[in-house]
Amino acid sequence: MSFQEIKGTLPAGSYYFSGNEAVAEGAIAAGCRYYAGYPITPSSEIMERIAVRFKEVGGVFMQMEDELASICSVIGAVWAGAKAMTATSGPGFSLMQEAIGYAAITETPLVVVDIQRAGPGTGQATRVGSGDYMQAKWGSHGDYQVIALSPWSVQEMYEHSIEAFNLAEQYRVPVFVMGEEAVAHLRERLEVQATVRVFNRVKKHGTPPFGTDSMDGVPPMPAFGEGERLLVTGSTHDEFGIRKTDDPRAHARLVERINNKILANRGKIANTESWYLDGAEVVVVAYGFTARSALFAVELLRKTGKRAGLLRLKTIWPFPEEAIRDVGRSARKVLVPEMNRGQILGEVMKYARCEVSGLNQTNGEIIHPQRIVREVEAVL
Amino acid sequence: MQEIRQVRLCGYGGQGVVLAGTILGYAAIKDGKWVAGSSSYGAQARGGYARADVIISDRTIVFPHVIEADILISMSQPAYDAYSGEVSPKGIIFYDSGMISPKKLECVEQVGVAATSYAVKEILQKQSANMIILGACLRVAEVVTKSSFAASIHENVPERFREANLKAFELGWSLGEHLKGVQEV
Amino acid sequence: MARDLEKYLRPEIKSTPFCPGCGHGILMNLILRAIDELGESMDKMLFVSGIGCAGWIPSPHFNADTLHTLHGRAIAFATGAKMFNPALNVMVISGDGDLASIGGNHLIHAARRDTDLTVICANNMIYGMTGGQTASTTPLGSLSATSPGGNIYRPFDLCQLVLGAGGSYVARYSVTQPLSLVEAIKKALKLNGFSFIEVLSPCPTQFGRRNQYDSPTEMIALLLERCISKEEAEHLSEEDLRGKIITGEFTGARD
Ligand SMILES: Cc1ncc(C[n+]2csc(CCOP(=O)(O)OP(=O)(O)O)c2C)c(N)n1
Ligand code: SF4
Repeated sequence: MSFQEIKGTLPAGSYYFSGNEAVAEGAIAAGCRYYAGYPITPSSEIMERIAVRFKEVGGVFMQMEDELASICSVIGAVWAGAKAMTATSGPGFSLMQEAIGYAAITETPLVVVDIQRAGPGTGQATRVGSGDYMQAKWGSHGDYQVIALSPWSVQEMYEHSIEAFNLAEQYRVPVFVMGEEAVAHLRERLEVQATVRVFNRVKKHGTPPFGTDSMDGVPPMPAFGEGERLLVTGSTHDEFGIRKTDDPRAHARLVERINNKILANRGKIANTESWYLDGAEVVVVAYGFTARSALFAVELLRKTGKRAGLLRLKTIWPFPEEAIRDVGRSARKVLVPEMNRGQILGEVMKYARCEVSGLNQTNGEIIHPQRIVREVEAVL
Repeated sequence: MQEIRQVRLCGYGGQGVVLAGTILGYAAIKDGKWVAGSSSYGAQARGGYARADVIISDRTIVFPHVIEADILISMSQPAYDAYSGEVSPKGIIFYDSGMISPKKLECVEQVGVAATSYAVKEILQKQSANMIILGACLRVAEVVTKSSFAASIHENVPERFREANLKAFELGWSLGEHLKGVQEV
Repeated sequence: MARDLEKYLRPEIKSTPFCPGCGHGILMNLILRAIDELGESMDKMLFVSGIGCAGWIPSPHFNADTLHTLHGRAIAFATGAKMFNPALNVMVISGDGDLASIGGNHLIHAARRDTDLTVICANNMIYGMTGGQTASTTPLGSLSATSPGGNIYRPFDLCQLVLGAGGSYVARYSVTQPLSLVEAIKKALKLNGFSFIEVLSPCPTQFGRRNQYDSPTEMIALLLERCISKEEAEHLSEEDLRGKIITGEFTGARD
């Protein structure tokens, strides 16, 4: 394993940071030293902070001409040896999708922070939404996997940012921190530790950079300029990177491995958190900011003797199927509140063998805890 | 001190409401509290009124938005009209008495502080009214310690405005002393 | 491929995918010739290309680090690699469609930033790979799969475009001018800043066939006739200049 405990990039202590500031600091702590981006509300504070902080820690910051260039230059920098990221919001995330597929097939580790706002289209740029989860999963063409995390606090914006880099490097995969405007602009107390646990890229001179013996392995990743004479291509390729554009076996082999390396490790990657699940008749399944409304609601309900609980999804992709199966077995009913029209509701329905319903809101505002309380009370 | 305090500051854009919220929140962290703050943003903020909410608690904060303010600090009439109805019973309102004519409200204590006119006369800088009214509020309502607040001003205010802000805060703090039990200064 | 240049090729790659008579094969040779004459080490070279026939010039043939990217984005990828590791000697080789149509925005912005890249644009005035559709470089009146009545839009003057955007070294040559072209590539490689060379490269399969140039030799002959130097052009009347392609350096190397 290439985990290592390194010194933090901020003095240990308590900070009063916005989510956007925290996500930038997490990235820097994790070793991110290349950032390319294009301004967009409500994510721009991330690039602004990085621009300032890279001057102090020594990183390369590029404001590019658009989001296509941003993510493509990130991929270029990663192959030149960087830990690199970009951040954006809905419209920019849409523009990045082709390159995300490229990163998936070339097994390029990178981090994209998507601060979700109310879409579709330009929508309401300063308002909140969580409508990008299915795009995160399916936005590029073809079959591939990504990892998507859903932070609910400023503390987690920092921690998920570090985690995102570690997962990206461990699995050589694009990782998304799916922020939401409501967390990005929230200011909270952030506790920063003196050291950070980071995963460093695995390198093995002379081994194939795009193949392993097993069908779910992650190959080591060299960089340009190390004398490996790398062949990187977004076309189907063999384990050495040689284009195989007509060979059905080569294609299936590559596609299956880049999917399996994530799916076979779903149990290790997908994280959830349980609150008051003991004896819970109604379980709320929630993520992101909405999980905070949900926890507040569940605590109010418990105070009045109502048997409600919360399963919080910290990882959305790969989807935590097992945890959902479990609540589907123990609960009478599952409620999924979301700031979209039911993107995760459908996933929950696939795995929970009990009554499942959604509570959906698309008005650009957060879901108030009282709405969840009323909805749960109606069935208890 | 209560275990959770919901503080809302509001006024016109340009009165320094959002910065005041940040200084207050950071001061509370220095006191070892948990804090969650949010403020008006984007089109809302351009619309002529600004708002900053700060929740201060002895424990981690589950829901980070203000549900009912325990303390409302209002620096403009439109903001007062918008938010004075959302103050919790037994809550307290501090309003800039040179800018606002208060309404009659049941169960809510209201304290007037002529922050803007003090700022103009004593500090010679209108923008420091936020620190005056906040100083008075903190003296009366005991939200954060005086030393943490002063330290937070040091860390959050650019150097060229620092002295004026500290002076304004001190002035507000001493006004607050006389306010205990009195209705308006 | 000249024998002495074979050392720059990956031994496991036996043939190039280009059609007989395609200019891209000649260009491939000339790029390696320039590298050889400069004594540039392949260990520090990174070749970045986009999608299209021209994108295959370096990848997988060149025995160096190669990054075969998305259609239009080669310069953006190259910018990231170069900015993060300035020790890499980064050359972008791609087609006119790739660099100037879908990727035009990256081209002008990299020129504006004067990013230290050597960009070689293989201009065959058409989309070769996808079957001969109109490009932003297709001459007025030329036939293509999507301009059956002849192209009605003016083509880009790529060199003027890049000059206007701020490129430090800009030149245009045809594969029929090998000596000048090799010198230009050498200059561009040595230059610290954004350099751009437009290389006219015939596509007999998609451009030639449609426009009644029945053989690759005919296309070469046409280029030989049409390409004139900047200096020659100075003495020609507007009338005589019609149909000519002016070649040469359009800025001196900046340093
Ligand atoms: C986003 C996207 N759009 C379209 C294509 C299809 N496509 C592949 S190559 C190409 C044109 C290449 O033309 P050019 O760059 O001039 O190179 P040539 O083949 O002529 O050498 C196009 C349109 C693609 N691969 N990706
Ligand atoms: S289609 Fe044209 S550009 Fe492509 S290889 Fe054939 S001749 Fe060359």
